[in-house]
Amino acid sequence: MFDIVTVFESLIEIVKVVPKTLFLALVILILSFILGAMLTYIQSLNIPVVKQIIAVLQSFLRGTPNVVLLYLVYYSLPLVVTSFLSLFGVGFDPASLNSAAVVIVTFSICYSVFQSEIIRGALHSLDKDQIEAAQSLGYSTSQTLRKVIIPQVMTEALPDTMNAFLIIIKALSLAFLVTVVDIFAQARLVGAQTFSYLEAFVAAALVYWVICGALTYVVNKLENRMRRGYV
Amino acid sequence: MLNLRNLNLSFHGNKVLEDIDLEVKKGEVVTLIGPSGTGKTSLLRCINLLEKPDSGFISLGGLDYDFSSIDKKETLNLRRKTAMVFQQYNLFKNKTAIENVMDAQMVVQKKSKKEAYEKSMEELKRVGLEAKVDAYPNQLSGGQQQRVSIARALAVEPEVILFDEPTSALDPELVGEVLKSIEEVAKSGMTIILVTHEMSFAQDISDKVVFMDKGQVAESGRPEQIFKESDNARTQQFLNKFYAAAQ
Repeated sequence: MFDIVTVFESLIEIVKVVPKTLFLALVILILSFILGAMLTYIQSLNIPVVKQIIAVLQSFLRGTPNVVLLYLVYYSLPLVVTSFLSLFGVGFDPASLNSAAVVIVTFSICYSVFQSEIIRGALHSLDKDQIEAAQSLGYSTSQTLRKVIIPQVMTEALPDTMNAFLIIIKALSLAFLVTVVDIFAQARLVGAQTFSYLEAFVAAALVYWVICGALTYVVNKLENRMRRGYV
Repeated sequence: MLNLRNLNLSFHGNKVLEDIDLEVKKGEVVTLIGPSGTGKTSLLRCINLLEKPDSGFISLGGLDYDFSSIDKKETLNLRRKTAMVFQQYNLFKNKTAIENVMDAQMVVQKKSKKEAYEKSMEELKRVGLEAKVDAYPNQLSGGQQQRVSIARALAVEPEVILFDEPTSALDPELVGEVLKSIEEVAKSGMTIILVTHEMSFAQDISDKVVFMDKGQVAESGRPEQIFKESDNARTQQFLNKFYAAAQ
């Protein structure tokens, strides 16, 4: 029967992998943000062929489940890395590729598309008037970017970016498929040891819930502070 | 002080401004009037290069620039000698009134925070907003926002302030306070180029009025010359229409 003590015991085991899970999610968030910003920038240049290629890529990433992409990368990345390194005469054993790298690569690419949308939306919300005001006062391009555009775009993009962070944390439960142990994977392992799957998953759900709740709280506070008086 | 010669501007092959000459002396208030779409705002925006003219020359503050070959550095130089007050105020939304006024002083002029703060307080007092220094733009009325933007322009101590229809976006009851601030600025000896549809204000405040029509300077002169004694058919037509509409 359901045993509350086992839930607690599982909880203790699961909490051990929380830092690693958060760290992975953070790395993915940062990489996807950088990739997304690059995507937004490249698209804004409106280069004919490049624009279409990116559009196709985006539609592909949006239209395929993360699991499939994860397997795709899992089986293709070692080959890509091996052949890339062999160009420089460096030998590489495909089997030695860290599966955490596979997870990071996959999710960074997946979520870069979403980050790109977030950044584009935030940029869109910034009216051109303020940029003109800065120009008219003699701000250089980089001063305009640093003092006017980025602070406002960051504030605007923060809620959605943090939302993406939560989505990434939850999506990492798929990492188990390529042997990376996150919260969910740990719950499966703990459950398998004691055959108390239900208790382990209850514990995992609680951990996810608490993390998301806490992050949401922090982000709301932060957003209020960044926005202070203005909407 | 400010001298424009042979300024030409076109958008996608359409001529917007043709062969404009304009001279503004130090401390003068020059008002541009004329029908909508005639290039008044474009002319103003050429002076600080928010629009880049196809050709022409400008002298400002003792330096000459050739629009057809102006580079980035010269552009910044020219912009730093001018300031603009926009129709829609264009304040930085994430900054308070005083931060709006301080920012350019610190970023562009590299003043210390203290210096910038003192200067900003002084200018905000001048436009009567010392009680609103910590308010964000969305907490201010249109008239107050426009006065902050006037303070922001004053604070960088430009050679000339360009006013682009500063009261056009305001509710009628707020126009007065902004005009009063502009008058204040004019009295202080600041050189001003003003685009406006407030004819009686233009008449009162200007040293020189320029009537523009179809991208050209149709006529220019002292206010009474333009408003009372003009024999230019287009000027008369415009003013008559204007007065008829006002009645």
